[in-house]
Amino acid sequence: MGLIKNIRDAVKKEVRDYIFQMVEVEKDIEKKPEQPVSENVTNIEVKAAGPAPEVEEKPVVKEEKVQPEKKEEVEEVREKPRKKEIYPIANNLEFVRVSYKKNQDLITIPKELAELIKMLPLEEYACFVKLYCFALEQRKNYGYWGGTLKRRIGLDQLTTSEFEELGNNLAAYGLLLLEQLTENQKTFVLYVPFDEDTMVKLSTAKKPEKEPEKPAAKKAEKPAPKAAKPKPEPKEEPETQHEEDIPGKMVEGMENDEMYKSYKTFVSLEIDKAKMRVGRANFDKIYMEAVKYIDKKYGFKVLSDSDKFKEYLTNYYISAFDIPTFENWKKSKG
Amino acid sequence: MLQDIKILMKSLSDIDVRIMLCKSAFEWELLAKKYNALRDEIEAFCSSGLPEDVQTALEKTRAYLVEKKGELPPLDLSDFFK
Repeated sequence: MGLIKNIRDAVKKEVRDYIFQMVEVEKDIEKKPEQPVSENVTNIEVKAAGPAPEVEEKPVVKEEKVQPEKKEEVEEVREKPRKKEIYPIANNLEFVRVSYKKNQDLITIPKELAELIKMLPLEEYACFVKLYCFALEQRKNYGYWGGTLKRRIGLDQLTTSEFEELGNNLAAYGLLLLEQLTENQKTFVLYVPFDEDTMVKLSTAKKPEKEPEKPAAKKAEKPAPKAAKPKPEPKEEPETQHEEDIPGKMVEGMENDEMYKSYKTFVSLEIDKAKMRVGRANFDKIYMEAVKYIDKKYGFKVLSDSDKFKEYLTNYYISAFDIPTFENWKKSKG
Repeated sequence: MLQDIKILMKSLSDIDVRIMLCKSAFEWELLAKKYNALRDEIEAFCSSGLPEDVQTALEKTRAYLVEKKGELPPLDLSDFFK
């Protein structure tokens, strides 16, 4: 009996101590309401002995699991508007590459432009205004699109893909023109209303048209060489009658023409034969003359455009080695 | 303005040096693209008209490039006829 009484007293004492501790903890919580709940729970765990910790650990774990889910939900909500289809806010704007005559003291946005850009979403609006200020600062409204530009207009915090997306969105809204020069290089032309007093017109940039699909193999061989011509010079345009004679130049509807394919093979063989005939040294001299001739007649930009250069070089060889033109060759074939 | 045109002219003389060291058609094409871009930049910079010495320097570099292209091995046209 004495033993049972001692045990009962000990249990009572334990329970009383535990209740006192609980009361103290509750008082602490009331004194510090801003303290996070999880900390209080940890305090209870430390102070309370016995079975209590096992029961009270669960809410902490639950809280940790719930938080990331909530974050994901918030992110999803933020991302949703980006997936919307973009409709241009202005059609048929003329994209002119301009240079500003002098540094501007004031950054002024013409009213018509301000009316247009106020329809842009916040991020695109900010990007456009930053680009506009940058254009005035560098005194031209075009340049390379990429990391350097991102840094220079103060959008460092954006990732490359986010910046790309902003550019594409602005292009979709019709206020920016992006041109893919090579696989990694892009240029942009920012829309600015042309003002004769402050600007000089350099060239008009054309919007990229949807080209008919070419065979994949051909695309791989020629990685967008023609896009690398931001400023076409009209005086350097080749004459039409020469173009017809160029064997490498596809005439519409001729791509599958067996006759034309045979002619191309014929020209290739004739050039090889001529190379053998005149010898390596002379052929090199003829090539040098061809380069000088093409530069003089069609301009330097043709020389630096490998596809066009090949066309004109072939044309030159046809003249230099007396190879029949396509029409003459076809007639001779009957 | 003087400082800026000096930087552009320095880039042009850098191209001149690299033309001398150029040994392949690929390198040449890169230099030609650089020259075209630089020319555009200079023309944009001197929008009121190119000074005579700048014009001469541009033409000289262009002539170097043309000469170099002629000196490089003739372009292989075999893939062009495929």
